[in-house]
Amino acid sequence: MQQRIRVILFLLIIIWVFGIFIEFFIPLQNNLAYLFPFFEGIYSTVCHQQLEKLININGYQTLVCSRCAGIYLGGLLSSFILLFAFKINFKNGKLILAASIPMLVDVLLYSSGFYDYTKSIAFVTGLFFGFIGIAYIYNGLQILLVRNGKSE
Amino acid sequence: MENLNKKYISPLVVGLGAGVLTIVPVIKSLGCCLLIPVAAFIALMLEQKANNDFSKLAIKKGVIFGLITGLTAAIFGTTFDFIITLITHTNDLVVSFPQMVETINSFPIKEATRDEVISLLSDVVESIKSYGFSPLYTLSFLFNNLFTNSIFGMLGGIIGVQILNTRNAKK
Repeated sequence: MQQRIRVILFLLIIIWVFGIFIEFFIPLQNNLAYLFPFFEGIYSTVCHQQLEKLININGYQTLVCSRCAGIYLGGLLSSFILLFAFKINFKNGKLILAASIPMLVDVLLYSSGFYDYTKSIAFVTGLFFGFIGIAYIYNGLQILLVRNGKSE
Repeated sequence: MENLNKKYISPLVVGLGAGVLTIVPVIKSLGCCLLIPVAAFIALMLEQKANNDFSKLAIKKGVIFGLITGLTAAIFGTTFDFIITLITHTNDLVVSFPQMVETINSFPIKEATRDEVISLLSDVVESIKSYGFSPLYTLSFLFNNLFTNSIFGMLGGIIGVQILNTRNAKK
């Protein structure tokens, strides 16, 4: 995949992740407060935003739950590393299925009352899934672009 | 046209289902950000089962199916939310308004900015409470849904194709 496309994707993911942490930037740039309700609306379509599951630092909260924040930060980290990788080559979907297992097990266990919801576990399992997930998206885009290049 | 409908029947049906689920509170919180990507994956899976064709899928198909699933979910999700809001004169925004005002009040920002943001929000909330409708809310909700669902749908489609191809290769 072309480096230009990787950089564009990385920048788009940065913007998306920035939105999650908008509350933290409002004290630095007051006008961001106008965007706050709009961002809250955007992220409400992709996350339940339950108060007790949001990451809270110094009174400022993320706009998505710990697990979603983990997924997106994992994606950001992965997309940063992939800026320097030349080619990804996943031959099958086993790794992404494996990466989703810790997250699914956590959801199942805390939902069935084996233990209480923990933000750190949710965050870490999300981070792992997001890290692998974005690599698969890049892999898919790489295949798509190669095919399109051949057909032209 | 009939062929086109048949070709895309599964993302349309699954998109409709996902649109309904996005407004059901408990399911919405369980599915979280994975609801639409999983819907795109199911649409691809159903299409293969319906045609009994388990040959290797192209990523392009995953993107198209994901996009259609996401857009359908967005349109139906917005429509259902619009109808429910119109009938009940309340929605997530009205419920979370006091909390949102509290959050905005806690920001260390200029008094004028704070008042303006709160006034803008309260106008929308008042409109929903009085008429069950706010053009600004409906438009932004539709835009949010179209934007996020189409992107998440396409991402789900891209990953879904790779998972399905692995599974089908084993058969």
